[in-house]
Amino acid sequence: MKATSLVAAGLVAVRDLRLAFRKPSQVIQPLMFFMIVATLFPLTLTPEMSRLRDAAPGVLWIGALLSSLLALEFLFRDDAVDGTLEQFALSGQSLTWMLFAKTCTHWLLTGLPLALSAPIAAAALGVPMEAMVGVVASLMLGSFAMSLVGAIGAGLTLGARRGGVLLSLLTLPLAVPILIFGARATQLAISGGDMAPPMYLLGAIAVLGVTLAPLAAAAAVRIGLE
Amino acid sequence: MAWTWFHRLASPPHVYAFARRWTPWFGGVSAVAMCVALYGGLVLAPEDYQQKDAFRMVYVHAPTAWLSLMVYTTMAVAAAVGLIWRMKVAHAAAASCAPIGAWFTVAALGTGMLWGKPMWGAYWVWDPRLTAELVLLFLYFGYMGLRAGIEDPVKADKASAVLAVVGVINVPIIKFSVEWWNSLHQTPTVMQMGKPKMDFDMLWPLLLMFVAFALYFVTVMLIRLRAELLRRERNASWIREVLT
Amino acid sequence: MNEFLDMGGYGKYVWPSFVLGFGIVVLNLVLALNSLARAKHEARRRLGVSQ
Repeated sequence: MKATSLVAAGLVAVRDLRLAFRKPSQVIQPLMFFMIVATLFPLTLTPEMSRLRDAAPGVLWIGALLSSLLALEFLFRDDAVDGTLEQFALSGQSLTWMLFAKTCTHWLLTGLPLALSAPIAAAALGVPMEAMVGVVASLMLGSFAMSLVGAIGAGLTLGARRGGVLLSLLTLPLAVPILIFGARATQLAISGGDMAPPMYLLGAIAVLGVTLAPLAAAAAVRIGLE
Repeated sequence: MAWTWFHRLASPPHVYAFARRWTPWFGGVSAVAMCVALYGGLVLAPEDYQQKDAFRMVYVHAPTAWLSLMVYTTMAVAAAVGLIWRMKVAHAAAASCAPIGAWFTVAALGTGMLWGKPMWGAYWVWDPRLTAELVLLFLYFGYMGLRAGIEDPVKADKASAVLAVVGVINVPIIKFSVEWWNSLHQTPTVMQMGKPKMDFDMLWPLLLMFVAFALYFVTVMLIRLRAELLRRERNASWIREVLT
Repeated sequence: MNEFLDMGGYGKYVWPSFVLGFGIVVLNLVLALNSLARAKHEARRRLGVSQ
């Protein structure tokens, strides 16, 4: 039973990757949004590099959070509209695994590129080069946890009007721990401290998310499809 | 025989009748207890040796803060019962909890700020308890927003129930993360809130106030539950009976 | 009496705190009763039941 579920999940992932290559705007737009948000902060705070460096963890994490919220809207919406999700639910395979695959693919297409391109924004905020590995690592782990939490919200808002604002309203309070540990890890990376403790906690949240979020997302999607 | 109460709990007319019968009792006892506890707290209790009379705010702040959390837990339990046993009454109960809980979170924040001013020197400091309370308010907003955003009432019930359960798993994590975050940025506080030991004269009004607030919550929830049941069971014949 | 109202100088924090807290207690009760009255009214109109 598990084997066919995993095969189905793999097929879903391959399909989503193919679709993304055909329609790259959904990958590029959140990334551009992140860059623009990061640029706005120096304009509103100060052009002084030393002060920007202090604000950098907050800027990077809030930018990443908003950008991933933007991207989350597309996680299930298109597939819900054209009936693909309904086919998934009726296929007899585990919907939980398929949605987990969708969430992971979604992170590969949005969270991972964001984390990898974060050094550009970070450099513009005066973050030293030695800190970049830490910045990328913390954003990678954090955006993965964020995708998992967000998948629940995306599933719940399928049946709602004005889904976008609602999605943010639901997801942001749940994402508070990710934001706290993630921003702290980035801050320690920049100041050259030991970033292991917040990274472990971020990892613990990601593990909890992997075990529980797909189940909740599947329940949410089923409710939306009824 | 043991499960009959559970089946009765699932029947809207029975719950409606129970709520109508018992609301005045819960409300009456709660009102008396509140008055006695107020007198005990404001008049009989001696002043605190550190906080002087300012400590008396505990009699309104602590019960509201406690209720804000307890209502969320009750809501999540009712929501889970509704999801697992497909019980309409449980969903109605969860729906009636949300606005009460949100209001008590507002009360806890407001009284906390008023207590913070003389104790910390500012209305707002990023104290872990205040911050966690603020996030709790946002969780309530999310829950009510989702409920309002979905038109189909059955879907709204189930979706918001999933959110309530996810939220209640998240509450301890939020609490921990906020405390961890605060321990790194601790600003020296003017005075420590609370102290290990409390005089009996100070303690009994507080405990009585907790009881009064719990009963008050039951009272208000039962009233709201009746309203929810009347709205949901649109054409049931029992409504005709209870309204005449 | 004045001494009681003054609360050792903390009166200006203590009393607003109690007014706010118990104001919300009263408000919640009023809101709930209001909602019940409205629900009853709607149900009566829908079912054509007179008082």
